Amino acid sequence: MNTFELKDVAFSYSLDIQIFDGLDLTFDSRTTAIVGQNGAGKTTLVKLMKGLLKPSKGTLLIDGDSIDKQTAAQLSRRVGLVFQNPNDQIFKTNVLEEVMFGPLNIGMSRNEAEKAAREALRKVDLESKAEDNPYDLSLSERKLIALSSILAMDTEMIIFDEPTMGQDFAGKEKIKAIIEELHTEGKLVLCILHDMDFAAEVFERTVVMNQGEIILDGPTRDVFSKKEVLEKAYLEQPYVTQIAHALGYDESFIHESELINFLNKND
Amino acid sequence: MNTMTLYVEKDSPVHHLDPLVKLLYVVAAIALTYILPEPLFIAGVLFVTLLLLLVGKVFRNSLPILTLSLFLIFSLVIVQGFFHPDNVTELFSLGPLVFYEEGLYVALILVLRVLVMIGSFSVLILTTSPDEMVERLIKKGMSPRIGHVILSVLQLIPQMRATTSKITDAQRSRGMETEGSMLTRIKAFFPLMGPVVLNSLNETKERSIALEMRGFGSSMKKTFLNEEKQYPYNKLLGGIIIAIVILGIVWRVMA
Amino acid sequence: MSIIEVEQLKYRYPDLTDLVLDDLSFSVEKGECLGIVGENTAGKSTLCYALAGLIPHFYKGAYGGKVTVNGLVVREHEIADIVENIGLVFENPFSQMTGAKKTVYEEVAFGLENLGLDRKEMHRRIEQYLKLLDVFAVKDKNPFDLSGGQMQRVAIASVLAMEPDVLILDEPTSQLDPQGSSEVFEVIEQLTEKGMTIILVEHKMEQIAQYADRVLLLHQGRQVALDTPEKIFSRVDLKDFGVTPPVVTNIAKALNVRYPDSELYPVTIEEFKRLEEAK
Ligand SMILES: Nc1ncnc2c1ncn2[C@@H]1O[C@H](COP(=O)(O)OP(=O)(O)OP(=O)(O)O)[C@@H](O)[C@H]1O
Ligand SMILES: Nc1ncnc2c1ncn2[C@@H]1O[C@H](COP(=O)(O)OP(=O)(O)OP(=O)(O)O)[C@@H](O)[C@H]1O
Ligand SMILES: [Mg+2]
Ligand SMILES: [Mg+2]
Repeated sequence: MNTFELKDVAFSYSLDIQIFDGLDLTFDSRTTAIVGQNGAGKTTLVKLMKGLLKPSKGTLLIDGDSIDKQTAAQLSRRVGLVFQNPNDQIFKTNVLEEVMFGPLNIGMSRNEAEKAAREALRKVDLESKAEDNPYDLSLSERKLIALSSILAMDTEMIIFDEPTMGQDFAGKEKIKAIIEELHTEGKLVLCILHDMDFAAEVFERTVVMNQGEIILDGPTRDVFSKKEVLEKAYLEQPYVTQIAHALGYDESFIHESELINFLNKND
Repeated sequence: MNTMTLYVEKDSPVHHLDPLVKLLYVVAAIALTYILPEPLFIAGVLFVTLLLLLVGKVFRNSLPILTLSLFLIFSLVIVQGFFHPDNVTELFSLGPLVFYEEGLYVALILVLRVLVMIGSFSVLILTTSPDEMVERLIKKGMSPRIGHVILSVLQLIPQMRATTSKITDAQRSRGMETEGSMLTRIKAFFPLMGPVVLNSLNETKERSIALEMRGFGSSMKKTFLNEEKQYPYNKLLGGIIIAIVILGIVWRVMA
Repeated sequence: MSIIEVEQLKYRYPDLTDLVLDDLSFSVEKGECLGIVGENTAGKSTLCYALAGLIPHFYKGAYGGKVTVNGLVVREHEIADIVENIGLVFENPFSQMTGAKKTVYEEVAFGLENLGLDRKEMHRRIEQYLKLLDVFAVKDKNPFDLSGGQMQRVAIASVLAMEPDVLILDEPTSQLDPQGSSEVFEVIEQLTEKGMTIILVEHKMEQIAQYADRVLLLHQGRQVALDTPEKIFSRVDLKDFGVTPPVVTNIAKALNVRYPDSELYPVTIEEFKRLEEAK
């Protein structure tokens, strides 16, 4: 897959409030972060892309071909989505079965599916929990189980809805490694985030959404240098950027190491 | 979110009546059909009941319920018409089937009584929101726990439906076909059932924790956000209903 | 006597073999904000449950030791008595919704009705806290039709509105946008100033550094340390417990910006700036 395109998309849950009205947005091979206020429409956007919701107007295209006629199940072979709330995604009482569900549905044999599932669990460091009941795990573990159940399907595009939610340092590092690996494999990666530092550190492109509209879209460094626009969208700059500003530097730093090197040189 | 209840939200005088008065009316109407088992009298009660349905703007909604009960009524007529032990006076016959006056008389009373029962219950159920009903009962001293159980039971179907659609989304987003032909849908139904039941059980547990953590089991006297609705003619109406029942009993004893 | 006293608390979930809480002893003073940090599965949420009485009343299993909150021994009192003093904001806001009410407004009212507040006070608090958390605009929506972050805001509001003496927040801002998250922490600060005692579980170390008076570092159910944020985040072995200090402390370590005559590094931008300028 090279591009996923939304053209003139409109959607609303109820008659009185329009979530999107003529949204145009294209995703390509750059790893992309979507950030924005609570209720901006980020989750709604990815549910539309996944075919779980249908737009009232507009078209969605993969590599220029419309996918409007495809069911969510057909689309799931190409686009994977890790839900925001793992409780909405997990429904089996055994971790391994949960992760194997997707692979089995898209035509893998039991052996292949188990192999894919175990491999995906290994990537999130939860092989040891394969035989557990997901309901007895902590929330952050369930979030990773949900993530691996999509990884195991090996789709061309993968969308994460707030993957770092509740993760500790090691968890974030795992997710970062997974995103980078997916990217090298040539997959499209899209990620909704409230963690500005993670967005700044990992993604090539950042899209800022505000009340169903895109108010900023570009290389991550440029986007995070626009303090005023970010604040209008209820966002903040990454901590490193904030620290640099507080120290009186105008350059936009988005990596911890950049700032440390810079300060060391300045000393 | 629609519920398992039949409540029809409308603005009518009957809707504004105290749920307890309506409940009293149901009890009184049914009791009267036993106190004075005269066809003409029961027909009068039925007439009042239907009038209430009309005033409450829910007559139309009560029709399906009444129609459903027609089957029951029909079988009553036939069984009583043929087989009532007091059958003596032959009324008419259809081939080998003979209808007797006594049987039909009893059947008529039964029919009217069933109609009164269903009609008066319809008045209550179609014009009273379960929330209002339960809140009213709790204020009158019913335990909030029982109230919650009643409401949860009424919520069962919509809650199951929500769980089902959640799991369906989880399944179709991982490649299970749930849309399309009848066969696909039937095939999708079975892998859905287990998780739905399990999930619902889990959800129930989670909700009960949420309730407790917000002081649901507290022994303190509960208050209510919604202002106590004013029911202007409450006492008067209640009094009238009780008076009519007493009159009925007196009549019966005297006669 | 301290408002929270934990003595040799041990706990294991049913069917598990390892202790999830292993011999914890600490106390918290009234008006204090205690931060709890630790890697995933360290036992932070489990500790919250034990403080709020969900353990041992809902979650059975093996329980040892004693937890006293506001003079009540948690194990010996029913949840109903405990929640009059303690509020718990769950890690997953979905778990907080009672399902008993059809609108956000009524959802917040639910706890207040059970507390027996009069109607005027109820309306006042509901409005105040919904506005404070910026969800007044969705007050008539069904709580289950909200975005993740909106639901988390409603969950916080519904517990705050009960104005408990002790407030336990388990990763309360995990789904909030950055400004919303900052606002919540400011509210927390105001509440401690008014005398509310707060237990705050967080992975956002910047916020812990800024708002916690003391920090409890947990690792595999054991209490590694209980100290000021500066002491905790200056530890050289912090990484061994799966915790990273705030970004600013990392930078301070790299540049060797320290408090004079000590091994301690600054944990907030303001302190960093002050020490950097003094250098
Ligand atoms: N099932 C639903 N029914 C009705 N309205 C909904 C539903 N889901 C979301 N909304 C509303 O649509 C808007 C966008 O919601 P969405 O979940 O897309 O936000 P989001 O950007 O993902 O926010 P968050 O960062 O809080 O997750 C919100 O105002 C929300 O209240
Ligand atoms: N209901 C449960 N039944 C059995 N085991 C559980 C249950 N909940 C949690 N556990 C286990 O207890 C341990 C501690 O979990 P807990 O949720 O307290 O961790 P945590 O520190 O809050 O982690 P996180 O940062 O992910 O929120 C984990 O190993 C987890 O798998
Ligand atoms: Mg969302
Ligand atoms: Mg936790």
